Amino acid sequence: MKSQTGLLFVLPALIVLFMLIAYPVAYTGLLSVTDGNGHLVGFKNFAAVLKPRVTTQAFINTIYWVFGSIVFQVVLGTLTAILLNQSFFGRGALRAITLIPWVVPGIVAATTWAWMFHTEFGIINYMMTGSGVLQSPIGWLTNKDTVMPVLIAINVWKLFPFVAIMVLAGLQSIPNDLYEAARVDGASFWEEVWYVMLPSVRPVITAVTLLLVIWGLNSITIIYAITRGGPANKTLITPIQIFRLAFESFQFNQAAALSVIFFGVAIVVVFIYIKVLSAQPGEAK
Amino acid sequence: MTASATRVIAQPKMKKPGLSWPIILIGSILVLVVCMFPFVWMGLSSIKTLKELYSVPPIWWPAVPTFDNYYKVLFESNIPRYFLNSVIISVGSTGLALILAIFASYGFARFDFKGKPYLQAFILVGQLLPTAAIIVPLFITLRVLGLVNTYWGLILVYMIVTLPLSVWMLTSYFRAVPVEVEEAAILDGASRLGVLFRITLPLSLPGLVAVIVYAFVTTWNEFIFALCFATDSSVKTLPIGLAEFSTEFNTDWGAVMAASVVMTVPIALLFLVFQKMFVGGLTAGATKG
Repeated sequence: MKSQTGLLFVLPALIVLFMLIAYPVAYTGLLSVTDGNGHLVGFKNFAAVLKPRVTTQAFINTIYWVFGSIVFQVVLGTLTAILLNQSFFGRGALRAITLIPWVVPGIVAATTWAWMFHTEFGIINYMMTGSGVLQSPIGWLTNKDTVMPVLIAINVWKLFPFVAIMVLAGLQSIPNDLYEAARVDGASFWEEVWYVMLPSVRPVITAVTLLLVIWGLNSITIIYAITRGGPANKTLITPIQIFRLAFESFQFNQAAALSVIFFGVAIVVVFIYIKVLSAQPGEAK
Repeated sequence: MTASATRVIAQPKMKKPGLSWPIILIGSILVLVVCMFPFVWMGLSSIKTLKELYSVPPIWWPAVPTFDNYYKVLFESNIPRYFLNSVIISVGSTGLALILAIFASYGFARFDFKGKPYLQAFILVGQLLPTAAIIVPLFITLRVLGLVNTYWGLILVYMIVTLPLSVWMLTSYFRAVPVEVEEAAILDGASRLGVLFRITLPLSLPGLVAVIVYAFVTTWNEFIFALCFATDSSVKTLPIGLAEFSTEFNTDWGAVMAASVVMTVPIALLFLVFQKMFVGGLTAGATKG
């Protein structure tokens, strides 16, 4: 009796999610091995989508994008959290302000930064040439070598606040006696950071990193709004390639094949990550 | 001798070692500038004339602030319509997510049933799904159901984005409500639903606010699904409007910045008002595990 009541409460949400997640995932699998008329074609779609060099390049770009973003997001986010964990005047206000980049729409972040990085009229080129850092203006978003780092920087700006607020919550739940023990041993502030704070917030950082990996693999907005994958596919990541295959070339079946590969790789990454996590020795609990 | 003496004195009330104030000051200013400068520049650009925008070197303060850009955005573009669409879709999907999440979270928090851990895991997996991988089948499914280019299409699809985390956050809030309170009400003859709506929900108000703010902000900002499933201007949302603004007006940066302001202000206000509850709800899941 009791077991049925609980299930009844949960069921509506489950049905909606099942319809929107499980069914499409299965359907992607079916699409990937059929042609436009629904005939089975085996692995032809996979071969067709894997052959062009651009697919490999998109994979490499995706890895570059995800890992480049995460390293800086975690480092800057953690440093900001350590700063916000200090007590000083205006801390509450600063904490709220820090979160704003994360809360505003990604498309707003993209357009505003695109305007700031504008080659001729952008404020960033002006400040850099004015202060003598650069000799002449750089086409940040059109130059093949600068475009990806710039996009990563924008993505870092957008998401480091999330890391900061999560790590801050972790820092604030550290029991005081851990600090006191460190102080009795005469630890300096940075020793405290290294031996007390970082080990305590490691579970939070690992959980947040997992989310960042997923978000990185999902992020289309910033890149699509600024460069659409260009110039010369330098910023084309796999999610954008899937989108373009499906909605610009209308190759639904090839897009589905690429989705299956992407999905598989993403699951493997997440699985390895969780395995590594749970296997980590010396977890202070 | 002196050293040991000071140590004895210092021991009962040890001063908490922290960052020195110059580092705190410099760090704070740095964080403040990095986070806020783009918005300052966005605001300043939105009240400049075309000539001022396209001047080399750039002008910091506009000589005479102009509201032409806002006029263009509010009266000569589709942005007001998109704003309305965004409000309808965000309110609709937030409401739907809230209702579904309330029941699901209550079920997870208060009952034991077969397969519960698996079902909870399934819901979390929804949060981990790469959205790009299901755009294509979702599009086909929506097309079969006749939901492409409808409000309902996007409202439903946004459940993927908002529902999993909402269920997760609310479950931890419901668990924090003491069972004894509910049991007392049931002894007094209240029904399960009565208990949920009259006792548990009012006690979990901060959690509800966190979920509402989270779901609203996420759907208001969402870009990819809107780009794929809402291609008609009668249902397009603000993010899409902003993206096409740059081509529609041959990137009239003043108008783009004005539209960005129009789009950012509601979300920033909503967030700043509910900031404390929102952050509390978000971090509750992370720190409590």
